[in-house]
Amino acid sequence: MNEFSRRNKNAILLAVLALLAGALVIRLFFLQIVFHPYYRRMADVNRLRLIPIPAPRGAIYDRHGRKIVANRPAYSVSILPYEVRDLELTIQKLAPLIGLTEAELDAAIKRERTSRYEPIKVKKDVDFATVAQLEELNEDLPGVIYQAEQARDYPPNNWGSHLVGYISEISEQELLQLASKGYRQGGYIGKRGIEKQYDQLLRGSDGVLYLEVTAQGKVLGEVPDKPPLHPISGSDMVIAIDMDVQAAAESALANFCCAGAVALDPANGEILAFVSKPVYNTAGLSVGITYEEWNRIVEDPNHPLLNRVIQSQYPPGSTAKLLTAGAALEDGLVKPQTHMPTPCRGGYQFGTRFFRCWKPEGHGSLNLIGAIEQSCDVYFYQLGQKLGINKWAEYGKKCGFGKRTGIDLPDEARGLVPNTDWYDRRLGKGKWSQGVMLNLSIGQGEYLTTPLQLANFYAALGNGGVLWKPHLLKKVQDQTGVQEYRPEIVERLPFSQETLEILRKSMVEVVHGQRGTAHRSQVEGIKVAGKTGTAENPHGEPHAWFACFAPAENPVIAIAVLVENAGHGSDIAAPVAQQMLQAYLLKRKPTGPLVSPADSATFEYSD
Amino acid sequence: MRAVKTVILEFWNEVDRRLWAIGLLLSLSGVALIYSSTHMSPNPLEQDLYLKQLFWIALGLVAFWVVYALPFRFFEAFAYLFYIVAILALIGVFFLGSTRLGATRWYDLGFLNLQPSELAKIATVFALARFLAYSSKYETNIPKRLLPALFLALLPMLLILRQPDLGTSLVFFAIFLAMLFWSSIPAIYLFFIISPALSLLAALHWISWGLFFLLLLAVLYLVRPGGFFSTATVTVNLLAGMIMPLVWNRLHDYQKLRILIFLDPNRDPRGAGYQIIQSKIAVGSGGLLGKGYMGGTQTKLAFLPEQHTDFIFSVVGEEFGFLGVLVLIALFGYLIHRGIDYAQKARNSFASFTALGITAVLVFQVLVNIGMTIGLMPVTGLPLPLVSYGGTSMITSWIMLGVLAGIGRRRYEY
Repeated sequence: MNEFSRRNKNAILLAVLALLAGALVIRLFFLQIVFHPYYRRMADVNRLRLIPIPAPRGAIYDRHGRKIVANRPAYSVSILPYEVRDLELTIQKLAPLIGLTEAELDAAIKRERTSRYEPIKVKKDVDFATVAQLEELNEDLPGVIYQAEQARDYPPNNWGSHLVGYISEISEQELLQLASKGYRQGGYIGKRGIEKQYDQLLRGSDGVLYLEVTAQGKVLGEVPDKPPLHPISGSDMVIAIDMDVQAAAESALANFCCAGAVALDPANGEILAFVSKPVYNTAGLSVGITYEEWNRIVEDPNHPLLNRVIQSQYPPGSTAKLLTAGAALEDGLVKPQTHMPTPCRGGYQFGTRFFRCWKPEGHGSLNLIGAIEQSCDVYFYQLGQKLGINKWAEYGKKCGFGKRTGIDLPDEARGLVPNTDWYDRRLGKGKWSQGVMLNLSIGQGEYLTTPLQLANFYAALGNGGVLWKPHLLKKVQDQTGVQEYRPEIVERLPFSQETLEILRKSMVEVVHGQRGTAHRSQVEGIKVAGKTGTAENPHGEPHAWFACFAPAENPVIAIAVLVENAGHGSDIAAPVAQQMLQAYLLKRKPTGPLVSPADSATFEYSD
Repeated sequence: MRAVKTVILEFWNEVDRRLWAIGLLLSLSGVALIYSSTHMSPNPLEQDLYLKQLFWIALGLVAFWVVYALPFRFFEAFAYLFYIVAILALIGVFFLGSTRLGATRWYDLGFLNLQPSELAKIATVFALARFLAYSSKYETNIPKRLLPALFLALLPMLLILRQPDLGTSLVFFAIFLAMLFWSSIPAIYLFFIISPALSLLAALHWISWGLFFLLLLAVLYLVRPGGFFSTATVTVNLLAGMIMPLVWNRLHDYQKLRILIFLDPNRDPRGAGYQIIQSKIAVGSGGLLGKGYMGGTQTKLAFLPEQHTDFIFSVVGEEFGFLGVLVLIALFGYLIHRGIDYAQKARNSFASFTALGITAVLVFQVLVNIGMTIGLMPVTGLPLPLVSYGGTSMITSWIMLGVLAGIGRRRYEY
């Protein structure tokens, strides 16, 4: 082997080595320089555990600034597995303290356990006394820790449950849809009512605490290069509710199982009171309930989760006679003094069917105002016939029926204003009797409204014909300032001022007239315009309705009350409205619960 | 006394001090890296590994000076004896060795887990050097010089493959190829040597295998290495092509997995792919300047297993960044360059081959070790010489440096 060939080979070797070293360096350049940000992030994902710092949720106040929903301090109890010396003994001692059986606690630990360094939350929302006891037993119960949290403080006795709703742990499905909007696993989200509608506003944005952990999950503590991200509190809300009116309605309805009552300001659509019964356990649902408890709520025949003000749809009964009368007046079919050809003898023969009036002995011959005052069905059967189903339906739609009002609450129902197309589709062309119009004209049959639609209609009747979009939000307050909600007009009633004046006059007669059906809604010194109604219910007792506005000439409040299976509107629903009116107009405290239908046998029935 | 002093002074004056110093620098930085990666370990035994490593370095330095003092004629004379001892040790490990993680590689000596395959590297380098240096003098038939050399390399290789330890066994293949390249045997024979391996790869598809086979036949026709060698080459290639699927099936599950994981680490991110992924994260997150000594989060939070042994390079990458790894590669580059330089300059043929064989060991281990920590090579379990924790590896590395330094000192001797 000579020097020359060695030198050649040397050069080849060096070239090959340079190539290989170059490959390493290029690869390292890509890893450490080009893709450094990616790997840096991956290393952070490895080493940092993100502990969310929940943002304080915004409070909800009534129109006068009184607190409806706020936060209260609460404590949750967790177990740190790696600090527990004797799990059995810990379970034995801890279970009775936090109100669980040993088996339940054991199951909770097994269910939630992920790693020995991860705290296991075994009980949420324990009171301060329990925490004090835990503190005393600190020595005996190593690894049992408690954490201060904030819980939602809902109004007492679950009142306003359908109004405010509740928050609860976010579900997997919600998380999938909302992950991009700052929601996280284990976080809370509004499930119903205002809590759901304004969740984004109320929730604020959670902060993050960065803790360094080892590969085994052992927490080493905060790191200087990642300071915690502070939470941003949720905005506070002022809603239009007047707690006095709300309380009056709650108290008046206390003895009724199933009811809905809503009051609005006719000047702008602000909702002053909003009650749906039966209520559900807001506080319980927000802490988390067992599967059995949830089932009990869902399977309750009274459907407590149903929001009766905006989700229940009932025939409006005689309260709808104002629609029929208004449409007929506007169409020039009647004048206030017009009598119908057939006087009321307790009913009306239409074809082969006899349509009854609510008063078996009959009203005799009445003009329009009298027919409204006394709620004579026979008069309206004939008026409806004159009007015709499609014209009636057209007016109905323009009065806000059969479509959502647009209230700022989730899952509002539409209601229904049927026309000939609808019947054709539903029952087949020509397979239905023209007699349906007789029922529709007195607010029975397929015509369905929600209490809110009816209240809004009456508000418009009182305010000169403006249908506002009903709303709860009044103001949003946060660090940056106050934002006021601007009321919106949805539509104008298809009624002239003249027509409205006639309707107003007749509704005043309903309350104050000698033969009026709604004396029970009278308020001292104030003229009330209203109308009672009874919705026939094929499944049982009829539902009682009352809708009104007051003062009649320049209304500041409009109300709709519905009490299910309670009988007639004048006996049951009108007095509820009366309490609300007194609370709002006279600032009078509620007089206490009204008697329930069981005790109302002595009431005379009128509609 | 004065004589001893003179000898020591002479040693010190004549040694390649830069080679020695860089070796020591690498070893001591290894200690620092081991401390960084184990001081937070929950296992107290692991926390003291850096102290043990210091002890291995001390032993290594002793070995260095002893080996340095011995003339290469000594190694030349005993080359085959060393080789036989090493082979016996490799065989013995199957009967007397201790088994860890499914592999039998170590003699448990209490204070040290002696890994005979490490020492076999040096012994094989000596044996091959001696054979290649002498055979060229009396044997002109190339296959007759080639095949015994092949046998010398294959024997330890196969024994180590049985342990199993694929990475270390491949070191012998690298030694063999490099020394063959350095010999007077024409370079085209390298092609014949690696042709069975190429056949294995080509046999993944029959067309590629067919084309490769035609190429092989053409080269054989042009080179005409002789009937026996040609027949053997063709036979081995045919066999290699045919047993490709069998070889795959014969691989241990973890070996298959390593290859598959190398191709796609995310195949099993929590299991076998975990090391590669975490190692890349460690290196990549180091960036240009690194997170600072003891500041590597991947390192100190133990996201990377084996970070003080096979994956110690990722600690360098994480804590000292791109600049740090460039320095490390440059230091190894210097050692390697020195080795090639001595191989070229040594007038004695045995010394020249030995220097080159040792350099090949260094090159292969550095490349494969760094390559695997950054996902360029499959995970094979080779330590980074001088830096990774490990007694046998440290002592072997220093012996190799001692041999190199000795050759450097005596490069003008015939």
